[in-house]
Amino acid sequence: MTIHSHDSAGVGTTVPAPAPWAIRMRDVTVRYPNGVVALDGITLDIEPGEMVSVVGLSGSGKSSMIRTINGLVPITSGSLTVGGHALESTSGRQLRRLRGEIGMIFQGFNLAGRTSVLNNVLVGRLAHTSLWRTLLGAYTDADKQIAFEALDRVGILAKAWDRASSLSGGQQQRVAIARALSQQPRLVLADEPVASLDPPTAHAVMGDLRRINEELGITVLTNLHLVDLARTYGTRMIGLRAGEVVYDGPAATATDADFERIYGRSIEAEDVLGR
Amino acid sequence: MTADGTSGPLRIPRRPRGRWKPWLALAVVAAITAVTASPQWGVAVAFDAIARNWQNGALKIVQLLQPDWAFWPRTVAPLLETLQMAVIATVVGALLSLPLSLWAAKLTNPHAVGRGILRTVLNAVRSVPDLLYASVLVAMVGVGALPGIIALVLFNVGIIVKLVSEAIESNDAGPLEAGRAAGGSQLQVNRAIALPDVWPSFINQTLYVFELNVRASTVLGLVGAGGLGLLIDAVRTYYRYDQLSLIILEILVIVVVIDLVSSAIRKRLV
Repeated sequence: MTIHSHDSAGVGTTVPAPAPWAIRMRDVTVRYPNGVVALDGITLDIEPGEMVSVVGLSGSGKSSMIRTINGLVPITSGSLTVGGHALESTSGRQLRRLRGEIGMIFQGFNLAGRTSVLNNVLVGRLAHTSLWRTLLGAYTDADKQIAFEALDRVGILAKAWDRASSLSGGQQQRVAIARALSQQPRLVLADEPVASLDPPTAHAVMGDLRRINEELGITVLTNLHLVDLARTYGTRMIGLRAGEVVYDGPAATATDADFERIYGRSIEAEDVLGR
Repeated sequence: MTADGTSGPLRIPRRPRGRWKPWLALAVVAAITAVTASPQWGVAVAFDAIARNWQNGALKIVQLLQPDWAFWPRTVAPLLETLQMAVIATVVGALLSLPLSLWAAKLTNPHAVGRGILRTVLNAVRSVPDLLYASVLVAMVGVGALPGIIALVLFNVGIIVKLVSEAIESNDAGPLEAGRAAGGSQLQVNRAIALPDVWPSFINQTLYVFELNVRASTVLGLVGAGGLGLLIDAVRTYYRYDQLSLIILEILVIVVVIDLVSSAIRKRLV
């Protein structure tokens, strides 16, 4: 499979996309040291190339689920396979290599504010960069090219040399998406990626994520708590409540009743983003 | 009018208890001060000594007010040596401190044992005054600038690592988590993400210890560790307060100039 830059002017290049990854969860339970059970026996299959919205109130376990998938949170029991790699038996260098294949986007953008946009995007190349090159800041030209292409794909190539903290929230989240893209990931995890953005910016960022899924074929898993975003930007929706899956079906046709079952209360105005 | 729209007397909530605590603290401080200054228990401060010796003190002050300007040429070389010691010690201390600061902070070093060992060593290093280091080092490596420089480096590492690692702790953990999530090792993440955010506090503290070093290196010579202190010791022994006065003036000028320069640099750090 090949991919093309969304830019019709053809600035981007054509590179073979790595095959997207599936996620297989079997009776996965996560219990934190303080005794809180974040995930309670979850069994799920996410196929390669799916665009999945994970919906639930805060505390429902959706953030823990995403962090479990790339090994930031260890599994207490059960088995979790990502792209054929069993996560519970992966650690150290192997785990870092695995994480290198999984892009992650956060609610708070999580950029290093005092350094350039380019340096932030190059963080996505760390898993493929030797220690001495990292320490000297001497990234290869090939890695820089990948970073520039990722910035171009989210439309902020012009900001490459700006300080990350000088950008607006929406632009910072685009830098974070470019950071994930520069990993040339097989799976992208997004944890409430638009919760700190205004409605038009939120739609633009969600559009970027959908385009990554459609044009690059990458599996995308997005945590959301807003009803309309979950319906619009996912093909499949998974509802979590108290660490258990309470809904799994198509996103577009999920009814208000379905959401009420996930949230355990009636739908309110604040559950909808609008435009 | 109350919040629900009806009029009536204001219902003022009851004043919280526990307002006597600051007064208790003040009383404790006053008691400790009284005990430490009392003749039976403490250092026995005899203020009458000032009254008895005031003529002696006044004479010294008159001498100090008349600097011996002709002494200037002899102060140049020790003055330069003092500045050189301060510069070398600051550079070496800062270079050692940068990796150690990252090692001492929880955010950039998740291994509690290594962190604990480093912090214990640094606490021990910091608890010894620089003049004491210098006097021991003079006995170990001989008289001159070298023991002074080593004493200052130890003193600098203790301060910079403590202050910079505390600044790292107050940073946001999110960007570092993003780096780990992208497959970076701790060392890679520290270099690529933590370091750019550490720069301002690192440069700030380095300038601060440079100011301290200039002050400290003027007195290290008292124990034979090079710089102006050696000269201070000599003129003091011969009661040349007019010459001492010139040295004090020179130190004053240098310290003020360095303070001005470093605060100008700090202002540019945003």
